[in-house]
Amino acid sequence: MPPIVQVENVSKIYRLGKTEVPALRDVSLEVHPGEFLSIAGPSGSGKTTLLNLIGCVDTPSRGRVRVDGRDTLELSERALTDLRLHRIGFIFQTFNLVPVLSVFQNVEFPLLLQGGATKTERRDRVMKLLEAVGLHTHARHRPSELSGGQRQRVAVARALVSRPALVLADEPTANLDSATGENIIDLMREMNERDGTTFIFSTHDARVMAHAHAILKLADGRLVGREELPAVVEEAR
Amino acid sequence: MRLRADTAIMLRIAVRNLFAGRAKTLIIGGIILIGAALVVVGSSLVDSVDRGMRASIQGSLGGHLQVYDERSKDPLALYGGMMGESVLEPIEDFAKVKSVLEQVPNVKQVVPMGIDQAMVATGNQLDVALEKLRQDVRERLGGDHSPELGRRYEAHKAHLRRMIGILREDLAQARVLADPNGPDIKEMIRNADALKRASEGAFWEDFDRAPLDGLEFLENRVAPLAMEAGFTFVRYVGTDLEAFFRAFDRTQVVEGERVPPGHRGILLGKWYAEEWLKLKPARLLDKIKTARDAQGRRIARDEELSRWVREASGQLREVSLQLDPIQAEEAATRLRRALGSEERELPKLLAALFQVNDDNFDRNYRIFYDELAPLLRLYMIRIGDTITIKAPAKSGYMNSVNVKVYGFVQFRGLEQSGLAGVMSLMDLMTFRDLYGYVTREKAAEIARIQQRSGARAVSRENAEAELFGEASGLVGQGTAAAIDDSKLLVPRTEAELQDQQDRSYSQEEIDSGVALNAALILQDPGKLRDTARDVEAATRAAGLHLKVVDWQEASGLVGRFVTLARLILWVAVLIIFLVALVIINNAMVMATLQRVKEIGTMRAIGAQRRFVLAMLLVETVAVGIVFGLVGAVVGVGGLWAIRAAGGIPATNDQLYFFFSGPALLPTLGSTSVAIALAIVIVVSVLSGLYPALLAMRVTPLEAMQAEE
Repeated sequence: MPPIVQVENVSKIYRLGKTEVPALRDVSLEVHPGEFLSIAGPSGSGKTTLLNLIGCVDTPSRGRVRVDGRDTLELSERALTDLRLHRIGFIFQTFNLVPVLSVFQNVEFPLLLQGGATKTERRDRVMKLLEAVGLHTHARHRPSELSGGQRQRVAVARALVSRPALVLADEPTANLDSATGENIIDLMREMNERDGTTFIFSTHDARVMAHAHAILKLADGRLVGREELPAVVEEAR
Repeated sequence: MRLRADTAIMLRIAVRNLFAGRAKTLIIGGIILIGAALVVVGSSLVDSVDRGMRASIQGSLGGHLQVYDERSKDPLALYGGMMGESVLEPIEDFAKVKSVLEQVPNVKQVVPMGIDQAMVATGNQLDVALEKLRQDVRERLGGDHSPELGRRYEAHKAHLRRMIGILREDLAQARVLADPNGPDIKEMIRNADALKRASEGAFWEDFDRAPLDGLEFLENRVAPLAMEAGFTFVRYVGTDLEAFFRAFDRTQVVEGERVPPGHRGILLGKWYAEEWLKLKPARLLDKIKTARDAQGRRIARDEELSRWVREASGQLREVSLQLDPIQAEEAATRLRRALGSEERELPKLLAALFQVNDDNFDRNYRIFYDELAPLLRLYMIRIGDTITIKAPAKSGYMNSVNVKVYGFVQFRGLEQSGLAGVMSLMDLMTFRDLYGYVTREKAAEIARIQQRSGARAVSRENAEAELFGEASGLVGQGTAAAIDDSKLLVPRTEAELQDQQDRSYSQEEIDSGVALNAALILQDPGKLRDTARDVEAATRAAGLHLKVVDWQEASGLVGRFVTLARLILWVAVLIIFLVALVIINNAMVMATLQRVKEIGTMRAIGAQRRFVLAMLLVETVAVGIVFGLVGAVVGVGGLWAIRAAGGIPATNDQLYFFFSGPALLPTLGSTSVAIALAIVIVVSVLSGLYPALLAMRVTPLEAMQAEE
């Protein structure tokens, strides 16, 4: 199978006034379908930047990012948006649910943007996912009525509802206590194993990163190593 | 399907956001509501006034279109302009204009007009009293020696002597005030001598012996000294009266009768007669009655009404002066009976009658009209009188004509309006005489004078030869021929004038000659614009220099009232919606900034820019439509409430004209609601556009920021 993500010699430089701040320096990596990867590194090491480039929310200053075989530099804003809508799911550090919509509507939202699905199809998909994340009884609640962990579960359901090839999660556990955080990672891993969806999440919590298949280590904008964690996987099971 | 699904979620998000920010929504909505209600009420009111004025102007004087000479210095102003009457170049040959215009499709009628003001000699009390005495003298000379005539003769003499006495006092006062070295002082002394003579017993003893000499002295030397106004102004339209009545079916003769077809004559405006010709105290009583009955005002609580009461009481001399001793005694008897008073003196009885308050007003008003009025001359000009009208003619001289008053005229629905009611209707022939335009009769008269004086038409080309050539009678004849003025200026005899009064003019005579403007009545007023174009084309083709204007333009300042009202309304609307625009824009920008993360998330998840743009616009437009509709309903309700309360009362003459009646009953303008909603939508789109564009520029990166 071809890799779902190819990052080739990518650098990303932000300009702050006259000074150039390099966020990523010459990073190359490949992600294959079904992987469950963690990006680890201290604050400012470039984790978020790397995820933004992979998530087609940003484009590299140098080098190439291919997602699903398509070079993000060659795509228009509209095509990038479409790529995100159909191939990528997002889970955010601050959950980012639409406050005026119910849990059900929040999860349904990407399907509405995609169009194509009938009302019953949408309901089935949404309810099945809510059941999978354990929130089917909370479908009519507003996000503000849920705990942080519950909100992040809704976000996971929303990220998966469009059946994306790739789900990106930037510090998904940072705003949760460690037990809830580990629950969320387990939920993500469950989904990864059930549907084969590729997951890439960033974290600086060693206990959380231990749940991944492999850890990509970033420091100072450089990829400093890839650590496979088969044992941990075994142990977790 | 796709469109429906994401439009639905867009609406849901918009509505929920609106509910989430209730205070903001209510403020924005409130402004839009007020604006929409104002548009509905305001435009309906203006439309209603427009309809009222259209009815007033078209039905009273304007018709649908007006034509006048395009070389005129001023624009046509049917109801007068800022600087008095507009100066129009005459239409020399109305018959030609008429025949051309009547050929234009959709033109039903062409009515010639000439509008101007003139002075009317109303005569004064002294003239009236003299006239009575002259009648008595004539009858006595005719051999009537009945004791009844004798009594009347004595009473009329006494009446006249009393008036001369009063006149003498007035003049003596004026002389005290005058500069003793002034240029007028000699004249004053001569006048005082004349009055002194007329007051003395010796004069009246002579009068019995030679009454005609006495009358001549009184008429020539004394009557001109009467200082009260001997004339008033009249505004009239000279027109083809038969055509006018056909064209303007609101015209009604309220007293008297119509001028017989083809005859000379004038119909005075009823309102004008009331306001300017009626005995002042009687007019004031009428005005108080209207104010009390129609407007529910009360003398005790109303400064203006109590002022009118004082004014009326101050002008009672005008009433008592009208009565000769016999009438005065009769009046006193009647008033004593009606008022239940023991008072002997007439002035005191009159004072008591006019001492009105809210309790006795209706009784005293009745007494005045039932008992006193039959003895009085209520109007300075009576129906059947022949009045003398003077106006400066085109040549610069004063022209004067005598014309019979056939009746009073008014326009239905505009009875109380001064703008319409001041107008009198005069036949076209009299108008032409008065205005100095050459009628055929005048042309004939001039020809007669020329013939008698031996004048010859001298053209410019051969003037020299004619005047100084061999054949010229002027050369070598040093002695001037004595010119006998009296033979040249053939004075029109009474008989000739009477003949003019009685004769009837043919339609051809009425049409051929001068008019100042002409009103066009159309078959289908809806095609006014098209017909105006056709008329213009037809007049140009016929070589006529005519300007074609619609009724609104023709009515001058008055016609601009609706335009002005509309302008004020739309300026107010513009200001309200500008404020709305700024406030909505501000509020939405704030709301957008608060929602940057939410919008960024949507973009990250896969919402296109146009989705975000539309979502934000839907929000403001939804507010606009909902509150705009509510505002429109409030406006309609407001109109209904105004109607239910009896409409907006016309509190003065002008409003009466604009409303075409005593109150404006506004009806919902056919387009008012549509206009209100259109404005509201445009404004909400405009005010939502900038925040929506801001939102559209939010990148998905915003969603990734860690801080909440």
